[in-house]
Amino acid sequence: MLDLPGGSRETVLRTLHGRLAGNPAVLDADRLLRDVLERVMLATVCVSADTALPHARTNAVSRIVLAVARLAPPGVAFDPEHPQIRLVFLIGTPRAEVDSYLRLVGSISRLLRDPAAHDALLAAKSEPEFRAVLAGEVKA
Amino acid sequence: MKGMRDPAALLLERLMRLLRWRLWIQEKLQPTEWQITLMWAAAAGFVGAMSSMLFSVMAEGIHEVMTGHHNAGVVETMRLLPWWGVIAVPATGGLLAGVTLLLGKRIARGQSSTDYMEAIVIGSGELPVRASLIKSAAALFSIGSGGSIGREGPMVQIAAVLASIIGRWRKFSPPQLRLLVACGAASGIASAYNAPIAGSFFVAEIILGTIAMESLGPLVVSAVVAALTVRGLTDAQQLYQVPPFKLSSAWEMIPYTVLGLLAGTLAPWFLRSLRRAEKWFVATTMPPIARLVIGGIIVGDIAVFYPEVAGNGYSVVLSILNGHIAWFALIGIMLAKWLATASSFGSGAPGGVFTPSLFMGASAGYLFGTAVNVFWPTGAADPQAFALVGMGAFLSAATYAPVMAVIMLFEMTLSYDIILPLLLSAVVAYYTAKGVQGESLYSESLRRKAAETPQATLPLGTVRDLMKQNPPVVPTTAHFAEIARMFLSVRVNNIYVTNPDGRFMGAVSLHDIKPYLGDADLAGLVIANDIMREDFPRIRPEQSLSDALGAFLGQTVERLPVIENDGRLLGSLSKSDLLLALVEKRQKPTA
Repeated sequence: MLDLPGGSRETVLRTLHGRLAGNPAVLDADRLLRDVLERVMLATVCVSADTALPHARTNAVSRIVLAVARLAPPGVAFDPEHPQIRLVFLIGTPRAEVDSYLRLVGSISRLLRDPAAHDALLAAKSEPEFRAVLAGEVKA
Repeated sequence: MKGMRDPAALLLERLMRLLRWRLWIQEKLQPTEWQITLMWAAAAGFVGAMSSMLFSVMAEGIHEVMTGHHNAGVVETMRLLPWWGVIAVPATGGLLAGVTLLLGKRIARGQSSTDYMEAIVIGSGELPVRASLIKSAAALFSIGSGGSIGREGPMVQIAAVLASIIGRWRKFSPPQLRLLVACGAASGIASAYNAPIAGSFFVAEIILGTIAMESLGPLVVSAVVAALTVRGLTDAQQLYQVPPFKLSSAWEMIPYTVLGLLAGTLAPWFLRSLRRAEKWFVATTMPPIARLVIGGIIVGDIAVFYPEVAGNGYSVVLSILNGHIAWFALIGIMLAKWLATASSFGSGAPGGVFTPSLFMGASAGYLFGTAVNVFWPTGAADPQAFALVGMGAFLSAATYAPVMAVIMLFEMTLSYDIILPLLLSAVVAYYTAKGVQGESLYSESLRRKAAETPQATLPLGTVRDLMKQNPPVVPTTAHFAEIARMFLSVRVNNIYVTNPDGRFMGAVSLHDIKPYLGDADLAGLVIANDIMREDFPRIRPEQSLSDALGAFLGQTVERLPVIENDGRLLGSLSKSDLLLALVEKRQKPTA
């Protein structure tokens, strides 16, 4: 989802979650949202000044699910230290798949550490272009 | 600015990379719990050997000071002294030992006189340091003055105390501590007799009652290190240099069998006489110092006529094995030695009766072999060989440890050709002694002690008794970097995760996070809650040890968290502790 209008952290998460709700891998959409919100409350999910990876290891999914959004400038505050989050990667991982979870989070982190890819995600004009940048780098 | 990295992020990245390397190196070199046990067993072996050598030197020094004779054996010195000196020296030794014990009581007030066997079999492995050192100091006077007592007892005790100190310093669990004390004892015997195999088997067979590798492995390592230390620092060879013995004829097996019967009958009598003497001395109601002085005077009086009774009997055994003592002289020496040992032991002189037992066996064997040789030369071609076999048989009957007895005799003499009659005679002596008396040299006192102090027998029945408290934990919000640091600081493969109430939430596995340790971005993002395994196996404190063993089956973990009914983490149970405890549990004496 590109240039999602601003609002609150919860609005953004609910919007992204809404995209995942119809995914066959999501066994219990409500629980997924609850687990993600709980995790967000527990500790920061931001990896840089403008990127957040809200995530949860949960029994609500049967395999890893990922929803990505780019928020419209100036972004949304996820916590006091991160007031302008623009890129949000919502991840749901089955409880048993610790390794897959770490691999995916690591891949996203590596992608965003590359200034060119980071800028390309922020500058992408369309969803297909945005997806192409992601597809080239992120492998779960 | 494009291309610029946050210095803090760079630092974190470098830190995580460093952690990854350190963890990799640590994992490759990380010893298992068993390897750590072996390492400390080796340390116990080394300090045990050093302390044994020091004790030996000190005992000889005291002997020289008390007698004024240098570089002469105890028996030789007694021959050189005037008759009053022969009486005065052991009496003075008794006095000094008694004074040491009396003064020591004030220093070691409140400490029990636990010996190493009690600490291993019915105790927690903790040995009182001051009380043990005082007893050993008193033993130096008993032994140095020529008391008819063995020096191996105090040597083994000191080695065991040092091992106990090491174990307590390393905060070993009770089963591990008991095993380390057993390793100390094995090192003491290995150094005293230059016999590492016998040292290991002595402890395994007599004290632990098992030769399971869980315990025998560390004992062997400790004994080998001790023997190597002694051999490296002294010119130690086999204890008894003897001519080659062999089985001259298959007919000899008949007298050897009879020798087994004889030793199996004599050994219980010998032990009973020692206990009778002890009771007699106690019944006199004399103060301990007076008892020790009287004991010394009796030994001295006997030594005026038979100087061979002084000391542990080593030189006399050597003479018997080499055929330097006439049989008719040996009859008197044997009876005198018996009486002298009973006097020393009964008066409370600190020391061992292991070597005096060898003396009795050698004498009995030689006299029996000589008698057979007179009437049937084919049945006993070499009476000295009977002396050697007699030692093994007597030891087997006294200790109820035939395997150890055979190995010890072999190691002390390196006479392999005599092994067949030695084996047979040791086994026959063992069964005979068991028939005559139900208990060995050591088991009777241990049983009595266990009955006196029922609380000493640890009720290792449930997981709660054996678990270690305060295992390393992290909160659910602990960051990846913090978890990695903890893995570096403690040697575990799983770190437990608890919530603020102390409830167990799961465990973070080193195996899971290892590939991602270099990823600095995860350091601040991932928390314990994200990567812990909630389905980590666990046990309850009230579960039995057998149940706990079942919980370990099919798991690759070395430790399991112990969880209270309300979900609180109480501690952790180590698989190695559990196996040791189960091995021990089968061997506990019943009160």
